[in-house]
Order: sequence, then structure tokens, then C-alpha cells
Amino acid sequence: MTIIQEKTIAVKVRSDFPILHQQIHGKPLVYLDNAATSQKPIAVLDALRHYYEFDNANVHRGVHTLSSRATDSYEGARDKVAAFVNAASRQEIVYTRNATEAINLVAYSWGSTLKSGDEIILSVMEHHSNLIPWQMLAQRTGAVLKFVGLTETEEFDFEQFKSLLSDKTKIVSVVHVSNTLGCINPAKEICAEAHRHGAKVLIDACQSLPHMAIDVQDMDCDWLVGSGHKMCAPTGIGFLYGKLDLLRSMPPFLGGGEMIADVFLDHATYADLPHKFEAGTPAIAEAIGLGAAVDYLTNIGMDKIHAYEEELTAYLFHKLKEIPELHIYGPQPNADGSGRTALAAFTAGDVHPHDLSTILDQAGVAIRAGHHCTQPLHRHLKAQSTARASLYFYNTREEIDVFIASLKEAVEFFGGIFG
Amino acid sequence: MTLANLRDLYQQVILERYKKPKHRGVTAPVHRLQRGHNPSCGDTIELTVQLNEAGDRIEDVKFEGEGCAIAMASADLMAEAMRGKSTDEALEMVQRFQSMMQGNAEFPTEQRKLNVMQGVSQFPVRIKCATLTWHTLKAALESSNEPQPVGFVSNE
Repeated sequence: MTIIQEKTIAVKVRSDFPILHQQIHGKPLVYLDNAATSQKPIAVLDALRHYYEFDNANVHRGVHTLSSRATDSYEGARDKVAAFVNAASRQEIVYTRNATEAINLVAYSWGSTLKSGDEIILSVMEHHSNLIPWQMLAQRTGAVLKFVGLTETEEFDFEQFKSLLSDKTKIVSVVHVSNTLGCINPAKEICAEAHRHGAKVLIDACQSLPHMAIDVQDMDCDWLVGSGHKMCAPTGIGFLYGKLDLLRSMPPFLGGGEMIADVFLDHATYADLPHKFEAGTPAIAEAIGLGAAVDYLTNIGMDKIHAYEEELTAYLFHKLKEIPELHIYGPQPNADGSGRTALAAFTAGDVHPHDLSTILDQAGVAIRAGHHCTQPLHRHLKAQSTARASLYFYNTREEIDVFIASLKEAVEFFGGIFG
Repeated sequence: MTLANLRDLYQQVILERYKKPKHRGVTAPVHRLQRGHNPSCGDTIELTVQLNEAGDRIEDVKFEGEGCAIAMASADLMAEAMRGKSTDEALEMVQRFQSMMQGNAEFPTEQRKLNVMQGVSQFPVRIKCATLTWHTLKAALESSNEPQPVGFVSNE
């Protein structure tokens, strides 16, 4: 099996990521925990350093030069994010700490209009961040949660989804790419079906934004959320995309400085979008870092990243077949690696994922073990926990080989006792 | 792969206890029932304890639950070591086990089987796996005289 684009993508970019060039327990680091968080290129680290060395000041508050520079960089990053997801307006991008905060913002602000008996549709594969805010909203308002299950191939059950929709449905909040199953949900079709019933749609794009081109206008979602740290940006910065009219109609979430127009002792008027939702001094450096990450990804090209990762997916799944003890969750990729993303959550017979992860760590290979913040999904799959290898565009075929070899050793190490 | 390190962590006794535990189950009768879990990984344990009539000595400990080799072997070895111990002795052993995980103590000859867990101290991220059952036992012994679980104890 050949990987054509390795030379043009992974080999070229690896020198941009200093962290990848180190030894763990005397072995070269093989970082395969990208679904948890990605590594950061020098361009992003430089942006952070440059900001603090030359431009640090509070934004939107001063007339001095540093404040002006900080504001320009901070707002410039918003333009970059808006272009990255093809938002119709820069005012549609609200900075948040992460996707979790963005979902909470919608659940509190827009969610305050829900009434008892209104229905919220989620899926069983949601990350806890797209479950708990809606559970809390349901408890506050008496709204009812409905769940889309899985098909036989462990993908989003679109037919069942359609049967759940009704005039009672007020919102559908679902993940675009599952961090456990790796399946790519039909976000555009989900939006179209939900809109036919007058329901709003929130798409959790944490696991798709880093790996494929996203066009919110084409998708026609009402909101879309993302976390910067999974797409080469620092932690502490994420964003909410929302359609302009919808964001305008929503009451503020957090109150404080920055989000106001006029303040009196007993009342206030609020700033226009997006500042209405950005109370307090924001994560300025991190937002600028997110802008640098977007530039970095755009320069490589999201379509190229996606195409290379499909090659990696095909190779990964081809190699995983060499270990018969494995049970891999989610759909199989097509022969060309399309149809799912470059991650694999799996169990290996009686070997507990924690034990696997410890053994792989000794070989320098970083994978995730646990429930990946999808406990209800794990319960649904009847797996207490799984191991997960998740790839990004800087990973190579050779790294997959090291992972597979050490996985084989780990299974053999335990195989002796389980015979 | 540094197999020597791994052999240190996964000693044969640990692997055998994981595969064929001797103390899985529920005591009869149940004088204490305590659940513990590790919220970061989802590992769970349910300990039952049978005490003597005076309620100050452990007659039997059994465990149920799901977890990694370290967590399960630790529970099985602990259950064995606790038989016949006074509750005070048991609590002292809990403390000693925690010290051992910090690399600061080991068990005396008559409880030396527990020393196979010493290798875990070299793997700081796995200490939580080994101590889950011990935290849970401590909560069980310190709970009121109720065979009903009072929520979960967590080692976070």
C-alpha cells in the first residue's frame, strides 16, 4: 500500500513541530493522541511570543499604540476564523474558551426560551460537553431529551433521526465527527431535515474542523462550535459560529465589561455582536494564536490535509487487520480511506486499555485509554473503556508501523497469560 | 520496548491475579458495601466486607468491578491480605500501601505478597489504578454500620 502524499505533507511539516522531535523512554515519540489535543507549530508559538514581547495590551480599551495593535491582531484573528468556516459575517464568530463553553452559551442563552415539553434531539455518540448542558437545560425548563442511536455499522442512524423529528423538536445538537467512532455524520442533511420541522441545529465540529474544510453556509447549520487546541491553536480558545439574526435575538450569556454599550447603576444596554457574548478581558494571545493556526492550516490546505489523512486511514486500518485480537469501533473505511476519519478506538481481547497504553508508552507511542468523554456511547457499545489512536497530518506511515509493532508486542505480552 | 520496566510493573503474580482472581464475588453476609470509581477512566470497584460479631475484625473481603490489571490485581491481593485483620490494622495497611506507592514503604514479611505492587510507584499515572481498591476499603471501614453503599468514593 502506497502513501503518495506523505512527502508533500507530513515530511514537510514535521520540522514545524519541535515537540515531535524528542525521545520517550529512549524511543522516538509517536504522538497518536490528536483527538484529545493537537501539537502546536512554531508559527503559533511565535505568534504567542510576538504578542507578549511586542503588542501586549488590553483590547478595545485604550487609544495607545499597544492597545490598538493588540485589538487589530485579536480582531484580525476573528476574520481568519470567519473565512476558515466561510461565515457570512465576522460578527457571526464569538470567541469562547472552547467548544464546551460555546455549547453552554447556546444552552443558557437561546435555551432560556424553551418550555416544558419542547424536545431536544441529541445522539448517543455525543461528547459529554454536548450532553450535560442539554441535560441541565432540560432540568431547568422541563424540555425532553431524545437520542439518535447507531446503525449496524455504528454510524448515525439517519432514518431513526427523521422519525424523532416533530413540531415539538426545538433543537438538534449533534457531533459532526465522533471522537470515538470516527464516523462523519451527514451534517448538511441533518440541518435540512431539522429545518423542515422548524428546529434549530448546533453542530459540534471539534473533530472535523482540524481535518476537513468546513463551510457553515453550505452546511446551513444555525450554530457550529470548535476548540482551538485540537486544530494547532493554544488551549483556552474556541469559538461559536451562529447565524447573525439568531445571535442577535439571543440574550447575553455572561455579563461584565466588553459586552456593554451603556451602563447605568440599575441597567445597561449591550454591545453589538460579537462583543455581546464576550464579557471580560478575553484570551487575547490565545485568540491571536488561533488566527496563526488557521493561517498555518490554510497555507497547507484543508483539502490536502483531508486527502493525506484518508491515505493514513486506509493504511492504519489495513495494518490493524494484522492483529486479530482487536475489536475496532465505528465504520470501516472505504478502500481509499474515505468514509471515516483517521482515528481508531479499539479493545484488545482481555487486555485493559490502560494496560495497553502503559505498554505503548514504553515504546514512545502516545495513545488515549479510557472513555474519551463519551461514557454513554461506551455503555451503548458495551465497552467499559477503549484505547484510541488518533492521527493528524504530521503523522507518518512509519509511525503507524511503530504503533502496530508495539501494539502486537503488548497483545503478545498479555497473550501469554490469556492464551 | 523496555521490557524490564514492564516486567517490574506487570509481575507474574499481578498478571495471574488479573486473569484468575481468587477473591471476586460478594461476602456472605455483607456487613459493609462500598463502591469506588476512577472518574478519569471509568474503572469501578464494589467491595463487600464481612466483619466479626464485635464489628472490629475483618472476616472476609470480596470485590466486583471492571478495571485494568493493576486495579484488579491490587483488589485481589488486598482482599487476601485483609482476612483476620482488625479494622485498625486494616486502616494502617491502607496507609502503608499509599506510602509504598510513593516509594516510601513496603510491607513486612508476613504481608510480603503485597510488595509485588511496588513497581507501580515507578509509573505515577498508574498509582490511581492501584490505590482505588484501598481508598474504597478505607471508606467501607469508616462508614457507619450500614450494608448499603453511601454513594461512590472517588480517588480523584
